[in-house]
Amino acid sequence: MDAARQEQRETPGAASPEPPEPPAAPAAKPPPRLDVRHVASRYAVIGVWVIMIVIYWIAEPGVFMTGSTFTSIFTGQYALVFMTMALLCTIIVGEFVDLSVPSVFGFAATIVPVLVTNHHWGVWPAAIVAVIGAIACGAVNAVLVVVLGVNTIVVTLGMGTLLTGLALWMSDLNTVVLQPSGFEKIGTFTIGGLYISFYYGIAGVLAFAYVLGFTPLGRHMRFVGASREVSRLSGVRVNRIRFGSYVAAGAISGVGAVITVATLGSYSAESSDSYLLPVFAAVFLGTAVIHPGRFNPIGTWIGVYFLFTGILGLEDLGLQQWVSDVFYGGALVVAVTISTLLRRRST
Amino acid sequence: MAISQADGTERPGAARHRLEVAHLSKTFGPARVLRDIQLAVAPGELHGLVGQNGCGKSTLVKILTGVYTPDPGGSVVVDGRRLRTPVQPMEQREMGVSVVHQNLGLVDDHTVWENVRLGRYQARGPFRKINSRAERDAVAAVLARLGRTIDVTAPAGTLGAEDRATVAIARAMQDHRPGGGLIIFDESTRALGKTARGRFFELVRSLIDGGASVLLISHQLEEIVEATDRVTVLRDGQVVETGIPTRDIDEAGLTRLMLGRHLVSHSRVDSHARDEAAASVRGLSVGQVRGLDLTVKHGEIVGLTGLMGSGFEELAEALGGARRAQSGDLTVGGRTLSLSARRASTEHFVRAGVGYLPERRLDEGLAAEMTVAENMTLPRVRTKGSRLRTGRAWQAEEASTMIAKLDIKPPRADAPVGTLSGGNQQKVVLAKWLAGTPNLLVLREPTQAVDVGARHDIIDAIRAAAKAGCGVLVASIDAADLAVLCDRVLVFRNGAVTGELSGELDQDSIIHATFGVPQDEKAQEERWAG
Repeated sequence: MDAARQEQRETPGAASPEPPEPPAAPAAKPPPRLDVRHVASRYAVIGVWVIMIVIYWIAEPGVFMTGSTFTSIFTGQYALVFMTMALLCTIIVGEFVDLSVPSVFGFAATIVPVLVTNHHWGVWPAAIVAVIGAIACGAVNAVLVVVLGVNTIVVTLGMGTLLTGLALWMSDLNTVVLQPSGFEKIGTFTIGGLYISFYYGIAGVLAFAYVLGFTPLGRHMRFVGASREVSRLSGVRVNRIRFGSYVAAGAISGVGAVITVATLGSYSAESSDSYLLPVFAAVFLGTAVIHPGRFNPIGTWIGVYFLFTGILGLEDLGLQQWVSDVFYGGALVVAVTISTLLRRRST
Repeated sequence: MAISQADGTERPGAARHRLEVAHLSKTFGPARVLRDIQLAVAPGELHGLVGQNGCGKSTLVKILTGVYTPDPGGSVVVDGRRLRTPVQPMEQREMGVSVVHQNLGLVDDHTVWENVRLGRYQARGPFRKINSRAERDAVAAVLARLGRTIDVTAPAGTLGAEDRATVAIARAMQDHRPGGGLIIFDESTRALGKTARGRFFELVRSLIDGGASVLLISHQLEEIVEATDRVTVLRDGQVVETGIPTRDIDEAGLTRLMLGRHLVSHSRVDSHARDEAAASVRGLSVGQVRGLDLTVKHGEIVGLTGLMGSGFEELAEALGGARRAQSGDLTVGGRTLSLSARRASTEHFVRAGVGYLPERRLDEGLAAEMTVAENMTLPRVRTKGSRLRTGRAWQAEEASTMIAKLDIKPPRADAPVGTLSGGNQQKVVLAKWLAGTPNLLVLREPTQAVDVGARHDIIDAIRAAAKAGCGVLVASIDAADLAVLCDRVLVFRNGAVTGELSGELDQDSIIHATFGVPQDEKAQEERWAG
């Protein structure tokens, strides 16, 4: 380094004024500091969640803050947790957007009781077929979108409708009931007053968060989502990751469906469509939590329970069933807006 | 070669400036990015505006075009009339102020006339139909004023670089009254080759001859010194000097003002080339290039240049793994890679130790929302980490080493790359490959649109990589870069190597070889003359 450069580096110049940059700090060890805005943007939704609970508590003394409300919030949403994780798989790698997730889930959830009750299969073979069926659905999506390059929305909308139709045909438009055989224990076993299905959801979310945050696969997934060309030119096998994401989404939907059927003891194919809006609302709301502007599993998990808490409280206040549509729909628009603004700020 | 009609001096007592900016400041949150800016452009003057990346040039242009609202207290006066702030686009247009942006702002699949008239279409009749004949005639008239013949019905995407620039200029100046108006060129010459640049300045001259004023923002100090009449220098959001007649200053002087210190210009250093080959290419055919053989030695820096579209760009893309060639092999790092194989990613190139710095850094080099460290370590995250863990220590070490080595600012590994200035982003792309100690670096326009200080750091880093044994290919139209970096330069024309320069290189010989008569034709001419 010549003297002039040395002088340049040692000159205590003003920080470059454009774009506004955070104050300089050593690369390896930034000094600890409390950035209020940063903390607020990460945990605002959790704060609102707490405030919401307090408001309901005050508005509905003796109704909202009860063990049964707590149980219904935390036992009921496991199906949604699995579906949001399935949607996250593809949305993180930049596939916008997989509308078939609830239908793949419903398709697999219908296979189990139909095979066991109507065709007298063993419950475990039926569960395995259901998971394989969901994986196959993911693979078909992948072939059409990744290999053949067909528009994602068209493919997944079509596949979703097709699978819902197939599930309705298989179940003959009925709710098919699974006779108790001990299989239900994999979902209804209770720990701390909550079904084990709830804990499966948490384990899945944590595992997913670990993969994304700490493994090369997760890093590659996030880069593919951020820029396919940058990833390809850095040696990442982009299409393999995209294909794998659809297949993984199918697998997660399949496993979630089996656990749901075991817990509920039945499934109605007609209910699949009603999951679509909550799944999207929770996933987008998740971008406002933990990692602002970024799709992330833990934020999504919080989004699922945040939204359900809001709806349950309003229903306890006497509002009708329509409130869930209003709440989920409104939350989706707000969440997408927040997500867009946070992303814009981060780049 | 000052091409303006202005005499380069202030006229005493005459406050008749075309543009007069006074006490203009801009604050974003806690950061004051412009401070008390003073700038005056005379009628019929070509005024240069220079400064490093991040000095506030773009912010100033955005205030002048109404994108940003300045802090209270400043004023923008055009032809004696104070504009409201934020500047209103209609008022700006009425006063004859227009901007030609860096990317020219053309819609490629729309025709020339649609691009020029965008926002000004005249509709008539009860169905509000656009009178396309009148619009085409109006555009043809503007182009005629510029002395250019361009098919106004051709899609903008089919035009060459000069014609595209002409269309953008036509759009900017169509509302100008003869004898008035101000056009701001914001890095508009960046995409132009030398010939096109010459014609661009002819156009500018014709504008000035017609009485317009021009504010030219450029990183090319050479063209500022040669073409402009006066120059204003910004540093850290402040005016360092304004209205310096360019006859009184040279590039070194401007650089000193921009940096606030002397910057010893790069001179050639001894070659680090060794005898062993770092990479060899056999039988490469890609685009116009046919059957090329090339060997790059360890420590050698080889330049690839030529006119735009002469084939050297495709060659670099093929060797970096970004483009599939028709045929050819690349042997590097003990592996032979087929350049014609269909492949989903550059994984094999990365494993063989090939680093590729693409031309468009934000489309191909960096993911803006990811952090500096994540971008830097991406190519190695699989090989240096385990399947279950990326591993933090090696990433932190690579990032801090590279941040220090390339003087990346701010020195924060966790900053999203999108928040860095252009020059620092370019350093991160380079660091991404340098951190992996590559066998072969393929660089496309490595100092494109970076300021003088960043260029210095980038050139130092490339030399250091060569010294460490890496073979380097620099594909660039920047003769200054090639002259200071390369051990030899291959000049391409129509897909073939028409010249090879080595030894003491200088810009003029590279430019002459690129734009001059090819050696074989020259020899033939000499034979005939003899």
